Amino acid sequence: MNPRHVLIALLLGGALAAGIFAALKSGTPAEPRSATVLPAGSDLPDFSLLDQRGAPVDADSFRGQWDLVFFGFTHCPDICPTTLQTLANVRRELIESEADVVPRIVLVSVDPERDTPEILDRYVSYFGPDNLGITGDLEQLKRLTSGLGIYFEKVNIVDDSYGVDHSAAVLVVDPDGKFVALFSAPHTLESYLHDLPIIAARR
Amino acid sequence: MRNILLIGLALLALVACTGESSPPLVASNVVVTEPLPGRMMSAAYLSLTNNSNDAILINRVSSPDFGAVELHESLLEDGVAKMRPVDSLVIAPGATVALQQGGLHLMLMHKKTDVDTVSLNFYEDTTLLLSLEAQISRRNE
Repeated sequence: MNPRHVLIALLLGGALAAGIFAALKSGTPAEPRSATVLPAGSDLPDFSLLDQRGAPVDADSFRGQWDLVFFGFTHCPDICPTTLQTLANVRRELIESEADVVPRIVLVSVDPERDTPEILDRYVSYFGPDNLGITGDLEQLKRLTSGLGIYFEKVNIVDDSYGVDHSAAVLVVDPDGKFVALFSAPHTLESYLHDLPIIAARR
Repeated sequence: MRNILLIGLALLALVACTGESSPPLVASNVVVTEPLPGRMMSAAYLSLTNNSNDAILINRVSSPDFGAVELHESLLEDGVAKMRPVDSLVIAPGATVALQQGGLHLMLMHKKTDVDTVSLNFYEDTTLLLSLEAQISRRNE
């Protein structure tokens, strides 16, 4: 074969490959790396609980802003503060980079017996002044958690001491109050910074 | 030649001495998080290295600054976060065990003192294996 023909064939082949790559790239929307997105989203169940100042909280309280919702308890020394610190770091990074979507951080206590609004107030405020803490009646809490597929159970009960096993996921609720995505543990700053804009763009 | 031999013997003696005085259990990367507001409890993370030729058993940890210290393990099973007490820790000769976020950790409960430094004592039954002092640090610093 003439070397010149080989060169032309190579150039044409390269151009074709580049064209296919560009077409694929522009035609494929970015995908979340960690989050599971619920295409239609789902409404929050009806519930009535209290915020950290003792004011009522219901499904409507989730309208008007993006929320990252974690279920935990203040007696938890390792997973809960680590997760809340990660979410606080996510929020700080988004504020500093002037991102369009800066979600509120919400901690729903799965230990309402011990987590009074006063205790929750000091706890969630530690991770940021705009955070929301939710506690209150156990039956109302169960309406919220079971409606969202969140599990929790009291364990290792010895005298007055006990722990609470709980789902480690973080739910994303959009400004219409719809549960639209879920981050599974372990939680990393990078996964939120990558996925949140993609989730928001799909709304 | 004699001098070199003497220096050699001296070095050998020094190495032997150092070997004997090296503590069997050594802690590194110690982090004690500050108790969160409203909570009198905290967590401690560290690495423990066994420099001896025998396995080391730790079955009690105490601190004069806390009412109770327990060894716990955080687990993530099928998306559920769990925490379980761990009775004892065995460190094989030459091995290092890491107590870290999301895994093994010390749960420090009922803080008694308002100090920036925490003392921790590690025991096998009543035998003190290691004492250390660590500065309390803010989370994520």
